[in-house]
Amino acid sequence: MLRKTLTEDSFYLNMGPQHPSTHGVLHLLLKLDGEHILECKPVVGYSHRGHEHMAQNRTYLQFMPNTSRMDYLGGLCYNHAYCLALEKACDIEVPLRARYIRLLLAELNRLSSHLLWFGAYLLDLGAFTPFLYAFDDREDILEIMGEVTGSRLTYSYCRFGGVVRDLNQNFFDGLKIFIPKMRSRLKDYRTLVSKNVIFINRTKDIGVITPERARAWALTGPNLRGSGVAYDLRRMEPYGLYPEFDFEVCTADAGDCYARYEVRMAEMEQCLRIIEQSLAKLPDGPIQAEGVPQWIQPPAGDYSYSYETPRGELGIYWVADGSRVPQRMKWRTPSFTNISILSELLPGTLVADTVAILGSIDVVVPEIDR
Amino acid sequence: MSFLADIEPLLAERFGAENLAPVDYGHRGYHLALALDQERLRELAQLLWEQGCFLEYITAVDQPGVLELVYFFGRLDQLFRLKVTVVMPKGVAVPSISTILPAADWQEREVFDMFGQKFAGHPDLRRILLPDDSDFHPLLKSFEPEHKHGGQVVNLERK
Repeated sequence: MLRKTLTEDSFYLNMGPQHPSTHGVLHLLLKLDGEHILECKPVVGYSHRGHEHMAQNRTYLQFMPNTSRMDYLGGLCYNHAYCLALEKACDIEVPLRARYIRLLLAELNRLSSHLLWFGAYLLDLGAFTPFLYAFDDREDILEIMGEVTGSRLTYSYCRFGGVVRDLNQNFFDGLKIFIPKMRSRLKDYRTLVSKNVIFINRTKDIGVITPERARAWALTGPNLRGSGVAYDLRRMEPYGLYPEFDFEVCTADAGDCYARYEVRMAEMEQCLRIIEQSLAKLPDGPIQAEGVPQWIQPPAGDYSYSYETPRGELGIYWVADGSRVPQRMKWRTPSFTNISILSELLPGTLVADTVAILGSIDVVVPEIDR
Repeated sequence: MSFLADIEPLLAERFGAENLAPVDYGHRGYHLALALDQERLRELAQLLWEQGCFLEYITAVDQPGVLELVYFFGRLDQLFRLKVTVVMPKGVAVPSISTILPAADWQEREVFDMFGQKFAGHPDLRRILLPDDSDFHPLLKSFEPEHKHGGQVVNLERK
């Protein structure tokens, strides 16, 4: 065995499933010639829990807690998407205050997800300090969201027709302190990281994805916007209250790891803008629609719904047969599609770049595996 | 000029107007539904790729006696969503489109994993989410899990 690989001058390296830079149980099978990658096969499925099967075996409401467990960094976005999808199919009118609250929390969730990515990515590249700062900021968000939702990551806060409980004073007080602090921190991150020579050398011109290849591999989210395509479902297919908000779709043209970094950093700023606007506009009123049945039963037929999560396009496709339980429910999770491009992106690079490229794609493994 | 207005007559001409149906987007979430014969799948994928579309995802629905494959295509510059359905008797392979659209590679592997649907011409059709030595396809309606959740499964009585 040994002789064969030696004469061929190439060998296999298993990166993961237990590797700190794969952010969970992701396994990359790399074929190497020295430090050069000849071939890459991502192996996924280690944390497959069968969420789609579970969805088809319980009522729509009973599946609600599962949604945030697919992507534990963007749990509230998944909650939100699931509610919006079912409400659209069942024609449930949601009170305005509840819609604002959901959107506000979804943006906070997006911000905390990007912060974790920022800290972990820099840690992957060998910078320890940003990690501590980012987790400090993220902890504030988790505390603030915990005040309202009652949980730190696996939220089950939305309901068909509204939300479970109203915002409280601690939430507003917390945000009042947090928003200016976050603004000044973002400035710090720019000076600390964006112009750092080591960081630039590790990320500039590494892992370049052209817009055409991004389309072929169906990339979405910040990975696609890092290739200069302004595809953001919050603008493209506006759902919720997004048309009423003033924010920019952030793009960068280079398509390399640095461009993806830039997009996410710019998006954090936009998150803060949306949060501020929704705080200013937040109306009074009920938080739950009247007369939503305990067991919702969408009319028979098939439905599709798409949502912009922190990692890209979440697609929900389900077939209802008029009963309490969906006949089929498919979850198109963004990381599953985004990560498949690695088999094309990694060959020709060095092992050290693997960490930079994989980190810049921003995957959450349980969301790939469902 | 919207892409929808451009592509609708083109699809009707190439694949038959009787197979193409406009859908109430506001309610169902997609604009067009196309029922396709499996032999023309690759032709359609090639056409949509040239027209600037991307493959959102592939999935399947287990219907009595047949498997309904569902392909969703979208656009990156404007709102457009097309659903393509291919109805297959179970156990018959369909042509793979992964050589035209690489995004289909993993999507087809997932459909194979979950439903046992084979894709002819796929370069590496292996299980993707379940262990390689599994002997079942869990999203088929005939699948009975070995261990049911204690107390979790609700009254599934369909009303």
